[in-house]
Amino acid sequence: MQFVIAETLEHALELMASGSRPIAGGTDLVVGARQGKEPLPDALVAIDRLGVLASIDGGTGEDGEIVIGACVSHATIAGHGDIIDLVPGLADGSSLVGSPATRHVGTIGGNIMNASPAMDTGAPLLAAGAAVEVASTRGSRLLAVADLWLGPGQTSVDSDELCVAVHIPRPGPRTSSAYVRLEYRRTMEIAVVGAGAQVSLSDDGSVASASVALTAVAPVIIAVQGLSEVVGLQPGEAARTVARLASEQSRPISDLRASDRYRRHTVGVMASRAVLAACRRAAGEEIAVPVNRSEGIGAGYPGDAVANTTADGVEL
Amino acid sequence: MQQGSGTTKFVRADGPDKVTGSGRYAADMVLPGMLFAAFRYAEVSHARIVELDVEAARSMPGVLAVLTDDDVPDVRYGAGVADRTLFARGVVRFEGEVVAAVAATTPEAARSAADAIVFEYEELPAIVDVEQAIEPVSPLVHAGWEDYEASTERGHNVASYSSITLGDTDTALAAAHTVVTSRYVADASHAVPIEPRAVLAQWEGDKVTIWSSTQVPFDAQAGVCETLEMPANRVRVVVPHLGGGFGGKCGFHFEAHVAALARAARRPVKLVFTRREEFTAPDRRREGMVIELTSGLDADGRIVARTGEVLIDCGAYIADGAFFPQVASMHIAGPYSIPNVSIEASLVYTNHQPSGSVRAPTAPQGCWAVESHTDELAETVGLDPVEFRRLNAVREGATGPSGQVYGPIGLLDCIDAAVASASYGTDLAADEAVGVAVGWWPTFAVPSGAYVKINGDGSGQIITGAQECGTGSVMTLCQLAAEEVGLNPEDFQLVYQDTAAGPWDMGATGSQTLVNNGRAVVAASQQIADALKKLAADQLEASPDDIELLEGQARVVGTPAASIAIGELAAIAAGGELLLGHGSGPPPVAPEISATCVGDQGMAAWVAPQFSCHAIRVKVDRDTGVVRVLSVAAAHDSGTIINPMGAQGQVHGGVLMGIGQALSEGTVYDDRGNQMNPGLLEYKLQTIADAPPISIDFVGVAAPDGGPRGSKGIAEAPNVATAAAIANGIAKVVGARLTQLPMKPERVWEASSGAAEAGGR
Ligand SMILES: Cc1cc2nc3c(=O)[nH]c(=O)nc-3n(C[C@H](O)[C@H](O)[C@H](O)COP(=O)(O)OP(=O)(O)OC[C@H]3O[C@@H](n4cnc5c(N)ncnc54)[C@H](O)[C@@H]3O)c2cc1C
Repeated sequence: MQFVIAETLEHALELMASGSRPIAGGTDLVVGARQGKEPLPDALVAIDRLGVLASIDGGTGEDGEIVIGACVSHATIAGHGDIIDLVPGLADGSSLVGSPATRHVGTIGGNIMNASPAMDTGAPLLAAGAAVEVASTRGSRLLAVADLWLGPGQTSVDSDELCVAVHIPRPGPRTSSAYVRLEYRRTMEIAVVGAGAQVSLSDDGSVASASVALTAVAPVIIAVQGLSEVVGLQPGEAARTVARLASEQSRPISDLRASDRYRRHTVGVMASRAVLAACRRAAGEEIAVPVNRSEGIGAGYPGDAVANTTADGVEL
Repeated sequence: MQQGSGTTKFVRADGPDKVTGSGRYAADMVLPGMLFAAFRYAEVSHARIVELDVEAARSMPGVLAVLTDDDVPDVRYGAGVADRTLFARGVVRFEGEVVAAVAATTPEAARSAADAIVFEYEELPAIVDVEQAIEPVSPLVHAGWEDYEASTERGHNVASYSSITLGDTDTALAAAHTVVTSRYVADASHAVPIEPRAVLAQWEGDKVTIWSSTQVPFDAQAGVCETLEMPANRVRVVVPHLGGGFGGKCGFHFEAHVAALARAARRPVKLVFTRREEFTAPDRRREGMVIELTSGLDADGRIVARTGEVLIDCGAYIADGAFFPQVASMHIAGPYSIPNVSIEASLVYTNHQPSGSVRAPTAPQGCWAVESHTDELAETVGLDPVEFRRLNAVREGATGPSGQVYGPIGLLDCIDAAVASASYGTDLAADEAVGVAVGWWPTFAVPSGAYVKINGDGSGQIITGAQECGTGSVMTLCQLAAEEVGLNPEDFQLVYQDTAAGPWDMGATGSQTLVNNGRAVVAASQQIADALKKLAADQLEASPDDIELLEGQARVVGTPAASIAIGELAAIAAGGELLLGHGSGPPPVAPEISATCVGDQGMAAWVAPQFSCHAIRVKVDRDTGVVRVLSVAAAHDSGTIINPMGAQGQVHGGVLMGIGQALSEGTVYDDRGNQMNPGLLEYKLQTIADAPPISIDFVGVAAPDGGPRGSKGIAEAPNVATAAAIANGIAKVVGARLTQLPMKPERVWEASSGAAEAGGR
């Protein structure tokens, strides 16, 4: 087995051109190999030390886009002021990943390129209309995340292409987002189902536009279709409609975590809660990241925020 | 809260080692020339072995030994029923059964050789349902069971049967004002110690030393002696730091396999389990149970009769489960005064992994069933569940369901303390409720032994056979010794977890260390105290009867000025007759009972019974069925508390484990008897982030038939009533009973939406 630490982006791309697989945090790749999902590849190129992949641009460019380097960790995203302000739904997602250790080494690039239907940044990115920038020795290109995932563990990106960044369009005024997931415990959990919503409100508080994406109810993260139905509705009514659409459009499997029936029901509940939280944020209310903890979704409840920290104040 | 006799805050002696990482666990150990072991498992739950060929594996590079049933003595073993061999013989009966073992120079070489063993089999029908297994038409798990040596009451696929009969239930039920019948099913679960087990064996001549992550070194030693046909003085079992056990590391497991490999390879051999192996191979799984019970009440709500039938999933081999039926029966009876009782329980063979003692075996499941039933009873007669329990609970002078008459016990005090701490009865939000449950658990009275010595410099040493599994109980022994001889606990060092050094002890099992080994340490220390008093009497020209040992001094009572330092006495002794003590002390005798017990395993007469009441506030997300435990009020009668900090730690851990059993921990099987979630991703433990605030009251009723100072056990009791109290809280919120454990979100949601459809809340 060959393991090379890339010195530059070009170095990484050359190694990938000759067949190396990238490894960032290794929290999917190594753990998956240990669980017997897929053996470790023969050649690995470590990209976690490439500074160019580790920065966040919170919208300073002329199009105001938010650009997140592929190797930015979930911990960084969850605590980043610009992301919390502009795309809190993504911060909600990143802050739910695994444990503090997983969040410190696990990266957004690894999360989306691993293409698990249960990934927690997928739905918020899809709801935000994000795009992925990939590069190879042949050049670079941008593709919508909607076009990235083909199935569990499968992407439309070629094997020599490295994800270098995620681009998120700057949300307009009175627009915000939220991501919630159903979880059976409060840490080290994996989404049973989840939903991310981005909502823009009109001046009268009704929904001007909405996009919603669902986690773990199909082979890939899916976008809820037909959301023009909710335009003009007040948040409560909009949330109920989204819940119905989400349940109808989900195609969940039954497995150890849940039956398809239960998933179909609860994804509606999650979608409704995501829409409501996004609407409240869009209206200017502050709901701390992650919504799961501050609003008591899944296994968390309002009023027991104390239990988010240990007696010594260490965050869980 | 009652404080123990201990005055100093007690810090565990092994804490710094564990926290800083300097402590060594069995898997950390390395010996020169050491080989690595790998097992070949059945990976099929029921099959006849057609071919087992190890020749290819034996000739692989780096392989120094490959063993099967042909290579070890012909011994069938097992407590209660000799149903087991070290390696599968002819038939495999569960997926984790060891078919062959390999020792090789690297773990990888050992694994590939194990995989290269030719193992062909013809699959047999998997027996996975306890209710079907006891039918005469069911195929047998052990075709030759009638030829096994056994001391249990047995039957068709029944490894151990037991019943408790008191009074006349037929007549009492016929005359009862109200009769309620319930059925509950508990899934199997696991102990899940964070450290997967490791075993290392090294031979020197005809003696073997085995380092093992076991909770019960003497039991492990006995297993090696029996299966490899060796005398006890040639088998030494040493336990490095133990990374948790919870019962999962009780029993004799793989020490003999590794010792046999090391003997064959003529090198030290180490076995280290993966998490998957830890889930599938040991015969220690918390048993699944099917429980049916019927109670008759009089017009005032007094329980006049109870009948019950319990089927316990034994799995493929009996392990230490012979007593499970009787202890389960006691839990189905519950800590209530019931004059007419008829409960039958069977430990039923299946092709699942064997069950074995995991922290209070059968109790959390049994308590969950009986306490759910108790709330149903209370509702039927329109009594508040707490009032109903106060009316029926056992108390001093009362007769319990096996006909035992109780001395001073604190169950009513527990109920009062828990409901007060939980502010039971105050208004809560519609999705919250406080559930209440009571529980009990015996104190195990068994032999034990210890040596104590005082060195010439006045420092002390306790050499004990007791084992430490993370409870801190062994370290509490220093406190008892210190109190006897007038020194500080810090003046004592412990030598323990080594069968060659200490006298016999049952091990870190049955919450028994403090009660039994404590008694032994006190007895040994009293010999030293007597010797010190004699020495002091000589020096101070007083009578030994007038000497007291306190604060490092031997003093003449009433004349504090006449004193001499114990260190000085130790120095004198070092030049003459040494200060050595040894103790065991007679275990308390089991009380009389008036019930009739078929298949008696000594589990219906309880020495120093422990009682508890848990009042738990839950919140239910009705749309998803997710339950969150908001706070726990735990009140325990564990007798006199010797070490409050240690006892509280046991309650914290037991409650958290109980929450897991209640809400998220359940082993799922496919219809061929294979575990579907043998890993930490899909077997959901509770995490520290899920831990609620836990308030603890020790009601502290000194037990006349308990251990030192009137103490009882504490380690298992706190998870007995936890799932039960949570169940009663959930039922209050959703308006329906959950009849299967664990009460996973989907099951809660199903019950809740079923209740909503039926016109409930
Ligand atoms: C205990 C635990 C808990 C977890 N909990 C969660 C959770 O709650 N939610 C969740 O979504 N995930 C969870 N995960 C999964 C994992 O941590 C995340 O998906 C993480 O973001 C993966 O990032 P990584 O950098 O570790 O990826 P790696 O393991 O390094 O890589 C994952 C895959 O992506 C490829 N890859 C990595 N970077 C790039 C790149 N820049 N371009 C192209 N391909 C790339 C790799 O080749 C590999 O195939 C958990 C994992 C563990 C171990």
